[in-house]
Amino acid sequence: VSFRCEDLQQALGEESPERLREAEAHAETCDACWEELALWREISAAAPSLRREWETSTLWPRIQTDLIAERVQSPARRRPGTVGWLSLAAALLAAVSAAVFFVGPRPQRIDHADAERRLLTEEALAQVERSEAAYIESIERLAKTAQPLLEAHASPLLVSYREKLMVIDAAIAECRGRIETNRFNAYLRRELLSVYREKQRTLEDLMREDKNAL
Amino acid sequence: LQSSENAGIESDLSAFEALFQSHGARMKSLALNMLGNRADAEDAVQEAFLKLYRSRGNFRGEASPSTWLYRILVNTCYDMGRKRRRHPEDPEIDDKDFSPAPAIDHPLRLTLQKALGRLPARQRDVFLLFEVEGFKHAEIGTILGIPEGTSKSVLFDAKHALQGFIRDERRATRAS
Repeated sequence: VSFRCEDLQQALGEESPERLREAEAHAETCDACWEELALWREISAAAPSLRREWETSTLWPRIQTDLIAERVQSPARRRPGTVGWLSLAAALLAAVSAAVFFVGPRPQRIDHADAERRLLTEEALAQVERSEAAYIESIERLAKTAQPLLEAHASPLLVSYREKLMVIDAAIAECRGRIETNRFNAYLRRELLSVYREKQRTLEDLMREDKNAL
Repeated sequence: LQSSENAGIESDLSAFEALFQSHGARMKSLALNMLGNRADAEDAVQEAFLKLYRSRGNFRGEASPSTWLYRILVNTCYDMGRKRRRHPEDPEIDDKDFSPAPAIDHPLRLTLQKALGRLPARQRDVFLLFEVEGFKHAEIGTILGIPEGTSKSVLFDAKHALQGFIRDERRATRAS
């Protein structure tokens, strides 16, 4: 069967090795098809170079914090109607349990599942705090790197960066203050990380700015 | 890996970490090519893991957990792209952001990157998944929610369109 120029597109679409061999044989004698086939293969050869890799030591800690915070929140979310104050106490978690105990009716006996859930939550909290600490430390290192740049110039652009960072730091301080009063509040912890994320973005933008523009 | 992935769906944090170790780099790369910048790509990966965790109860095992994770990631990228009004035809990928430089560079890379931004989203995504990230058509079908045959024909259309863009670019370069 003779291979014609108009068969080339179909052969490329089918991707059958046999048809491609026929196309190659034809291309040996046809410049237009040779060029078409070569470019087709060049695209496939170049495609893997679009794959990008970069190190992000902070990404897993961020994900881990999210997952643990979700785990902390989820018992209450999954079982909204379960036995009154007991599930509420589980949601508010063990650290504040002493106070809650005296407000609500005391259960007849300790529920083992609930006790396990509290232990898990305390352990989870410790993991969250470790992950947060690693993430926050990396951002503070970035802030130290950016500090000389912030101090060395006084352009309007730089002033706006300074002001934005001040606002972010104030938000961080407020968020931290609220967390101090309720360490188990996963929502607040997410808020804190999201503010830190904004700080990270701002610092990265600052570092990317053209030094002359500053 | 399969067993660790399944364990991951059972909400074991260490299995999620194994998933991240196995797929995190490829997920970041895919998200970067879809969203155009590193910070958004990392946010998308983070969001995808959280969504996987939240929806693990809905996992029915029709696909592998990792394929499911990529499906979540692609949908997250669509959502983020819409919310942040990024322009796919103007990707902001900056080579300075990457250290070290891509291990496998190619003279056609920049042209291809530019041309990809001009493809319809579906063609771009099938191309990225197949040619860049090395997925099979069956997996792409699951990730994008399309039949395997459609994935093949969309890839053909994508490469055909890319050929056209690259030819035009080369003609313009020769003319100038």
